Amino acid sequence: MKKVFSTILLVLLTVGLFAATKVTISGWPGNPVEEGAIKQAVDAFNSTIGKQKGIEVVWEPIAGDYKQMLMTKLSGGTGPDIFYVDVYVFEELARANVLLPLDTYIKRDGYDVSDFYPTLVDAFKYQGRTYGLPKDFSTLALVFNKAVFDKYKVPYLTNNETWDSLLKKLQQLKAAGLDTPMVLAPDFNRVIPTIISYGGRLTKPDLSTALGEPNAKKAIQFYVELVTKYKVANEPSALGAGWIGEALATGKAAVGMEGPWLIGFAKESYPETFKNLGFVEMPKGIKKSTMIYTVSWSINRGTPNKDAAWEVVKFLTSDGQKIFVDGAGVLASRKSLAAKDADPIKQVFYKGAEYGTPWKVPTKTGLFATANDQINSLLADLFHSKITVDQAIQTIEANYNTWISK
Amino acid sequence: MKHKTKEAIVGYVFSLPIIITVIVFTIYPIIAAFYYSVTDYQPLEARKFTYTFNPYESLEFNTGILREEAKDYPLDQMIQSFDPVTFVEIDVGVNLSDEDKESIRKNFDSLNLLSDYRDRKLPTEIKISDFLMKYMKSDGERFAKYRPKFVGLENFKQMFKDMYFYTSLSNAFLYSIVVVPIQTLLAIILAVAANSKIRGKNFFKSVFFLPAVTSSAALSMIFWLIYSKPGILNQVLMSLFGRFGFQPIDYLNEPGIALFAIMLMNIWSTAGYFMITFLAGLQDIPSSIYEAAMIDGATGWQTFWKITMPLLRPQIVFVSIMGTIGCMQVFDQIYFLIKNLRNITISFYIYKNAFEYGKMGYASSLAVVLFAIILALSLIQRKVVKEEY
Repeated sequence: MKKVFSTILLVLLTVGLFAATKVTISGWPGNPVEEGAIKQAVDAFNSTIGKQKGIEVVWEPIAGDYKQMLMTKLSGGTGPDIFYVDVYVFEELARANVLLPLDTYIKRDGYDVSDFYPTLVDAFKYQGRTYGLPKDFSTLALVFNKAVFDKYKVPYLTNNETWDSLLKKLQQLKAAGLDTPMVLAPDFNRVIPTIISYGGRLTKPDLSTALGEPNAKKAIQFYVELVTKYKVANEPSALGAGWIGEALATGKAAVGMEGPWLIGFAKESYPETFKNLGFVEMPKGIKKSTMIYTVSWSINRGTPNKDAAWEVVKFLTSDGQKIFVDGAGVLASRKSLAAKDADPIKQVFYKGAEYGTPWKVPTKTGLFATANDQINSLLADLFHSKITVDQAIQTIEANYNTWISK
Repeated sequence: MKHKTKEAIVGYVFSLPIIITVIVFTIYPIIAAFYYSVTDYQPLEARKFTYTFNPYESLEFNTGILREEAKDYPLDQMIQSFDPVTFVEIDVGVNLSDEDKESIRKNFDSLNLLSDYRDRKLPTEIKISDFLMKYMKSDGERFAKYRPKFVGLENFKQMFKDMYFYTSLSNAFLYSIVVVPIQTLLAIILAVAANSKIRGKNFFKSVFFLPAVTSSAALSMIFWLIYSKPGILNQVLMSLFGRFGFQPIDYLNEPGIALFAIMLMNIWSTAGYFMITFLAGLQDIPSSIYEAAMIDGATGWQTFWKITMPLLRPQIVFVSIMGTIGCMQVFDQIYFLIKNLRNITISFYIYKNAFEYGKMGYASSLAVVLFAIILALSLIQRKVVKEEY
């Protein structure tokens, strides 16, 4: 009996001593290609650094409503150790103090952050502290189907397209018999490049909304009129697609503004259409503009394994990023990796990093989710001619403060 | 022990699992919702005092003096530039209410903390609540646990100014007013049909009941395909009425139509479920009554209105109450299919506030209002239509 007991004790001890520290990482699964790249990076870590330092990384994706799930898990104390933070919700989480400040770790290990695009690093700073390192980024570009342009004998879109010249080409397509050439989403973040290229801005210096200013209003008017007045564009659902990329890849629309995530999806699922897709820079107004979407790897402040988690983040933002860039077709947030990325299609997207704005609307409270929902709802109304742009802007201006309040 | 008490104890022990389950998962949440409805409960703040931090790092950030060099600085010089509120809020990293700040300003023992810092007597890892309780001269219990701020009826007052509260509530009412009568009547008709002696009635019964056992997510996906602009419904209508100038409609995104599209789907999917209730009711009606009516020369129409309907009254009350409750709370189809806030219902708005906007207090107060409305409606229904014959 004694023997059995001591054996059990021995086994427990060895397991206890050599058990790897488990670090869970979480994000949205994205498409299969993207998730494959993450799993590959996790395996790469576990078989190298993880083995040496006794850390085991487990990938636990959250399918469905990522933000809701994450917030619920964090408030219940069951959040993952490391997770994606979309720049759009970053400030809300940083203000709630649920993210671990990384400055001490960066300093301690002399981790070089100057290699990242500064816009992307700054996007995850709050009150001078870094709460995440950019995983990768995406920008929007103008995507068009060359086969359709050939068929209707309309000249291809170029890198120097303006909103007016784009409209002209869309009208030519329509005149030649294509009913709705363009797919356009009633999403606020998709309207922002138009607003900024028209010389508008999102917020005034005091962080109140600037959407009522003449330039912003003109931009929103133009965006909506593509659907209502010129009838050259419509939303994805009206074309029978779930999102813009799907409408483009299935040939339901010939033109659309979409990010590099379209590449992996179209290449994998619709290789025939993908061959015909052309990628050019976003149309210009007074100036160039595009949207920068970025996601960070951030550490849960409540994690019991802060040091192990930092080791994992270091890997994911260096060697791990190389795996994502090669595998998932995302854009590298490190300049050195971006320089090595020779994929010709991605060059258009990289160019956007020079003049794009991160998808983030600063507010006094750090909250924008409600306002975003409300504005999207108004855009949907505008697309269906339920209200006029003036009415929409009046509603925004009258309610903005309530929407961003706690 | 008396036999009776013994028996009672045994009875309670046997039912203990369910009693505990009900208390933990039903009664406690209900009480909690009432409590949260008068607070500003914010879920993300709930764990703010449980995080651990390194006091040395925070002090280095705050003072700009490295821990090794702290000894070289005189204590009174350090304390002069030390503001405990900024230290706790920014460098330790806890969001503080105005009362918390006031208390820290009054009771925080900066001297003790800084001298411990100089003497290197601080731990390198400590829970925020433990730290604050240790360095507050008094009132430290305030930081033992997150307590949401009591705001009284503030949340309820806010509702009156919230345009989407009105929209979502009136949508829920409209939804119930349209769906409940139609679904009840349809269920009765289906039940009468299924109860008659037609061929293959078992087949029809199963078909009508099928939507009730299908997950609402799957149903929503099917209806998304039906309702989408190039979908089946538009194709059928186009081939029928296309020549009269019918244009395809984007049913789920057209603000004026979306809610009605969902209503149609819900009537279709729940009528079969309630049919079962009516079928059971119909089987309870003695056939002798029908025979007597036949002898008296009543038509089918007359028997239906004069015999079947009145005798189904208990089931009608049950179905209409359950239907109203279900309709006022309709959530999943809205969640899956509706994008425009103009067409949402109250329970979806509650969900959005609680889990997306992080306003758990406001969401709870909305839930309390919904509860009151449903309770009132159910009581009225019971008063108006008596359950007994």
